[in-house]
Amino acid sequence: MTSLIAATSAEPTNAWQWLTDSSTREISHSIPHNLWLTIEHAGGGALIAVAVGVPLALVLAHYRKAEVLSAWIVNLGRVIPTITILAVFVVASLRNGYGFAPWPIIFALALLALPPVFANTYTAIRQVPADAVGSARAMGFGEHQIMTNVELPLALPLIMAGIRVAVTQVVATEALGALFGSEGLGIYISYGLSVSDIYQVQGGAILVAGTAMAADVVLGLVARAVVPTGMRRSGRRALRTPRWRALTTGPVVHP
Amino acid sequence: MTAAASSTGPMHRWPAKRVVEVVAVVALVAFVLWARARIHGLSEETQATNPIIRWEYLFKRQRTPGELWTRGKQHLELTVVPVAIGLGLSSVLAAIGLRFRWLLAPIFTFAGFLYTIPSLALFAVLVTYNSNWTSAVIALTTYTLLIITRNIVEGIDGVPQAALDAADGLGMNRLQRLAKVEIPLALPVILTGVRVATVTTVGLVGISAVIQLGGLAYLIFDGFNRSFTTELVVGSVGMILLAIALDLVLRGAEWAVTPWARRTVR
Repeated sequence: MTSLIAATSAEPTNAWQWLTDSSTREISHSIPHNLWLTIEHAGGGALIAVAVGVPLALVLAHYRKAEVLSAWIVNLGRVIPTITILAVFVVASLRNGYGFAPWPIIFALALLALPPVFANTYTAIRQVPADAVGSARAMGFGEHQIMTNVELPLALPLIMAGIRVAVTQVVATEALGALFGSEGLGIYISYGLSVSDIYQVQGGAILVAGTAMAADVVLGLVARAVVPTGMRRSGRRALRTPRWRALTTGPVVHP
Repeated sequence: MTAAASSTGPMHRWPAKRVVEVVAVVALVAFVLWARARIHGLSEETQATNPIIRWEYLFKRQRTPGELWTRGKQHLELTVVPVAIGLGLSSVLAAIGLRFRWLLAPIFTFAGFLYTIPSLALFAVLVTYNSNWTSAVIALTTYTLLIITRNIVEGIDGVPQAALDAADGLGMNRLQRLAKVEIPLALPVILTGVRVATVTTVGLVGISAVIQLGGLAYLIFDGFNRSFTTELVVGSVGMILLAIALDLVLRGAEWAVTPWARRTVR
């Protein structure tokens, strides 16, 4: 950390030069290094959120439990400020001697990604046609089999839409980690603002926004790849449902 | 009364939501009373232990109420102004989309694209060309567009065909039908969109602290930078209370403008 700021040999004259010419950059770690840190933090957070949120919502929705919670979790996530969660996790981590990064950032991001993942999965499972579940049960499927072989595949397009929203959000929020002592791509913006370096700020903003949009595109491709072939035809409409629909589906728009 | 009512049948039982709200309010009041009672036991010694909350910051420090008022007012302004502008812009966008249907997809794709831009990046880029205040308002307005436009379109689309036919049968022209039938019937959905956008904006205002604004979130960053957790907690709780207060105000407005929704309950 002592050599975070390197002496520069040249001043950038525009954002593009700052991006392409490493001699004009003041942060000593390279852009790929910070990109990797961002992917590590955001990916870790998103993985935890998916690993916890999807199975939990699957089981709860299957047994029709916790309906109030599923309606409230999104509102709760919206009311509690992002920066509060980041600040609280980093402070708690510092007080217990775990440092600024990466764990507080990863857990904070996981907590932020949990509401959209959980709520979308819950809604998706609830929207699985009762006929499909009923016929599976009539054919002798157990509850576990119904969950993993019927409900999960049929709900997958909507679940993936929720994960996609969550991941984009997590990548965008990861940049805020730089304001709380972490590294990652946001450091160019926060450092650039602190020294009033316009081109560094603009270059950093391009990097952060580009990463968020790249994550969005990648998750779109993943969604396309993981949806089972049997769902492709009937699921096409759901798959093509744009992001804005997944943002406010279910309990949010019509409480 | 509640005990007697609950025994008569499920119709009179309190919904789970109400219980949660009442419990939250009671807990808050109890907490404030407890905090006020605790402050009398404070002394110089408690300062050295570095507790998470130092109550004297909240109740004894002279400048605290003034600071909270200034920051809270700024936070409220930075929430209300972008939502109001966003509502105006969204109405125009929704009107264009509803009139020319083929424009609906491009409008939503554009709004969705704007929504994907990370807030930190947007604030940072805008501030290199505008004043702090202007760039904060532009950025925050941008994020309200998607939610409000979508709910206006869905609300107007959700008006029952029978109501439209009745309006036509009464001889209303298009403008009258829009003003007297479609907008009133769509109002609950539209106001829900405004409410969601408002609560989201309260959170996003916090990130404008990087451009020397931030409202109550200034306290969060200041508390973090100085390792003064009291300020962090006060700023966070202030933001949460502001979000809940605005949410309740808009829920009240929703209730007030839809008298017919109340009548059907009986």
